[in-house]
Amino acid sequence: MNKRAWKRTILLGVGSVLLLAAASWYTAVYNDSRLLVPMDFSTYVFQLRDLPMILAMALFTAYILYLVVLLVRVTLRSRKQDASRTRAIRPQLGFLGFFGFLGFGGFWTYAFNGAIFPFVFFMFFGFFGFFYEGKLSNTFMDERYRENQRRAQLAASRTALSIIFLATLLLGQGRLLGSLEYTLIAYVIVVTLALALEMFLAEYLLYHYDHDDPAGESEG
Amino acid sequence: MPEFECRLKKYRQLKELTQEQLAQQVGVRRETIMRLEKAQYNPSLKLAVDISRAVDAPIEEIFIFP
Repeated sequence: MNKRAWKRTILLGVGSVLLLAAASWYTAVYNDSRLLVPMDFSTYVFQLRDLPMILAMALFTAYILYLVVLLVRVTLRSRKQDASRTRAIRPQLGFLGFFGFLGFGGFWTYAFNGAIFPFVFFMFFGFFGFFYEGKLSNTFMDERYRENQRRAQLAASRTALSIIFLATLLLGQGRLLGSLEYTLIAYVIVVTLALALEMFLAEYLLYHYDHDDPAGESEG
Repeated sequence: MPEFECRLKKYRQLKELTQEQLAQQVGVRRETIMRLEKAQYNPSLKLAVDISRAVDAPIEEIFIFP
């Protein structure tokens, strides 16, 4: 994908999120929150005022599908490549990490209708790692690279597992603020953030192990 | 802190090879040769043998462990 296509993809994402936010606001203020709150669709009758929310949801769903197709294409293309080289991806994919902020929507949906699924979006923070993976795109993987890759993956996995271990130990008592429900929410948040950290850290550390050289890189 | 002394640079220059040329001969990146010369990377036995053959010098004279 060229620069223009990337800009178009990001603008489309921002546009569809803004449109969804505007439609949600309109529905909450002028349409009794229809389609925002859980409702019985067996008795649903279409009203003209539902249209903004339906269109915004359709557009947002189409955008998510477009992103999935994009990811599948990038994955398939990298598999076809030489196995001795890293996959060719652009650092700009790291911008997908901003979708992690959608996780904060979980606080709103929980207060609104008890849904906690949006917290899972925190995992998208791990996609910030693409900024670093992109910098090592299409790099020849010699023995030093593979050694650094194993070191980075090990350090990242150990960090994430330590966090999950501590969270399990502390939250396993099920008494956060005296509520089992709050405990589950806290656990979901901690686990998703730990997984995101693992994804990010593996790429970040690999980049630094591969590039950090205090003496500079000279031919000599 | 380097665990060993590396005299690769001396032997590479004797063979009139650039880091890039040596890297291609032994199948690694130039950055790996650079770090080897600074004794910042401890190579595998196979890489050490390949380098020794490429610069025509005994392995124990290129990599000197205390």
